[in-house]
Amino acid sequence: MTTQTADRRAVTLSRVLASEWTKTAGLASTLWVPITTVLVAVAVPLGLTMFVRPGDGTTAAGLVVSGVILAQLGTLVLGVLVGTSDHATSTAATTYTAVPRRLPVLVAQVVLTTALALVTAVVALGAAVLVTGPGREAAGLGLDLAAHDGTARAFVGYVLYLTAVALLGLGLGAVLRRPAGALVTGVAVLVVLDQVLAANPGRVTDTVRVLLPGVGTRLVETDARLALTESASLGPHLGTWGPGLVLAAWVVGLLFAAAVRLRRGDVT
Amino acid sequence: MSAASASAASAQSATRDPAATTRRGPTLPRLVASEWTKLVSLRSTLWTAAVTVAVAFTVTYLSANASSGDPGFDPARSLPDGVALSQLGTLVLGVLAGTADFRTGAFRSTFTAAPRRGRVLAARTIATAGVGAVVALLAVAATVLGVVPAARSRDMSVDLAGGSAPQVLLGSWLMLLGMALLGLGIGSLLRRTVPAMVAALALVFVLPVGISLGAEMAMSPTEMMAESPAGPASLDPVSTVTAFLPGDAAFRMTTTADDGGVDGAPDLGPWGGGLVFAAWIVLPLAGAALRLRTRDVT
Repeated sequence: MTTQTADRRAVTLSRVLASEWTKTAGLASTLWVPITTVLVAVAVPLGLTMFVRPGDGTTAAGLVVSGVILAQLGTLVLGVLVGTSDHATSTAATTYTAVPRRLPVLVAQVVLTTALALVTAVVALGAAVLVTGPGREAAGLGLDLAAHDGTARAFVGYVLYLTAVALLGLGLGAVLRRPAGALVTGVAVLVVLDQVLAANPGRVTDTVRVLLPGVGTRLVETDARLALTESASLGPHLGTWGPGLVLAAWVVGLLFAAAVRLRRGDVT
Repeated sequence: MSAASASAASAQSATRDPAATTRRGPTLPRLVASEWTKLVSLRSTLWTAAVTVAVAFTVTYLSANASSGDPGFDPARSLPDGVALSQLGTLVLGVLAGTADFRTGAFRSTFTAAPRRGRVLAARTIATAGVGAVVALLAVAATVLGVVPAARSRDMSVDLAGGSAPQVLLGSWLMLLGMALLGLGIGSLLRRTVPAMVAALALVFVLPVGISLGAEMAMSPTEMMAESPAGPASLDPVSTVTAFLPGDAAFRMTTTADDGGVDGAPDLGPWGGGLVFAAWIVLPLAGAALRLRTRDVT
């Protein structure tokens, strides 16, 4: 066997990525989940524009990003499906026979999830801007990305948050390997736990809330709203990008746990 | 072999006599028994039940301890706190009960043994209601245990018979039980675990938070402050919609009639909330029954 044929046959990251892409693109859910995510991300601001009256205090940037809480469920599902589909269909045996070093598969899944979620989030944001256009114009709410009120930052935060939630879903899926368990855990830590804690405001509960991944929604808030959120919380103040760091820590921690399980444990 | 079957055999064409057929047929009690076995022998059911009860205790204990320093501390008021999180447990239990047959392929045996599919769904509903009732009872009991330490520390007794306590406890029990049935309906209707789980979680937990926080995000904070005193007078579309969603409607059962509900939304009251919640349970179950009757089970 010459070195040339060995090279052609080697398991490179780009080839693993190509195979992960083929597996994911072949699923019907890869089409439906992003479409539903975009529809949901647009439906909330569209519904809210119907009730906007001139001078009622609605902000253009706030209106556009208002679908983020619902849309995060979509990108969470996206990540969970990429992380669990191998194990749900027992393709895992084939995958890890072809890639015995295992970790390249997780890396490829991270790249793939990031790309899919990024595209979904950008399309969702663009669609929300366009669809709310007529309603915003009627109410006299123009978008000004150059304004120093955090509009541009909130838009960047929107895309980053939705992408990070997809990676959180991937991490949960890769750690738990069961789609149902990963979904329930994801919704619990992102939404339900925060709501339960919010019912009992206090120094302890507000501190815990700040450490949950759902705190990343603050990235999506414009400056004035962020200041209000911070002043209403009795927990530590995280500033503008601090919430993003908390969310990133969750993502990195989960992906690290997934890598450890992949290397040390069995894949059955 | 009895005399009856001997006479049936003498009739040649009949291989089984009618009495034996009825005895062996898939009657409702037998279907309930088989659905019960399928449900309680799943590991996921036991785990979900255990987590539900543990969460009910822990959250109530922490929340009662946190608020026991308040001057107007009423132990009974802390009771529904734990239920708010543990309803996630019974909802998941219901979804898994509804999709289990389709996930494992056991539906082939089920519907071969019991070709009248509607009865299977009825039996599954009864079995899930049974399991849900037990889990809900344990979870409600756990919330009561959860408030005892906080009440003790303030020399208060937890009075379960007086005031609003009986209604709060009954409402919590019905809410947890109802969530299991809502999950069952969505699971039976969609048949696949992931879509059913996403739909159930979205409807009960993410949708109300998503639209109310979304509406908050859209408003500039200064205007909201200025507007709030005049707020309750008019109906707010977002609060009105969330009041009719299953999560809020069910939660209204755990609060008292004079609680008044949310500002800007019509107050359904405990009974009204219960009826709206019941409608949310019946709707997917009816859809599931229709799908079972008119479509293939594959």
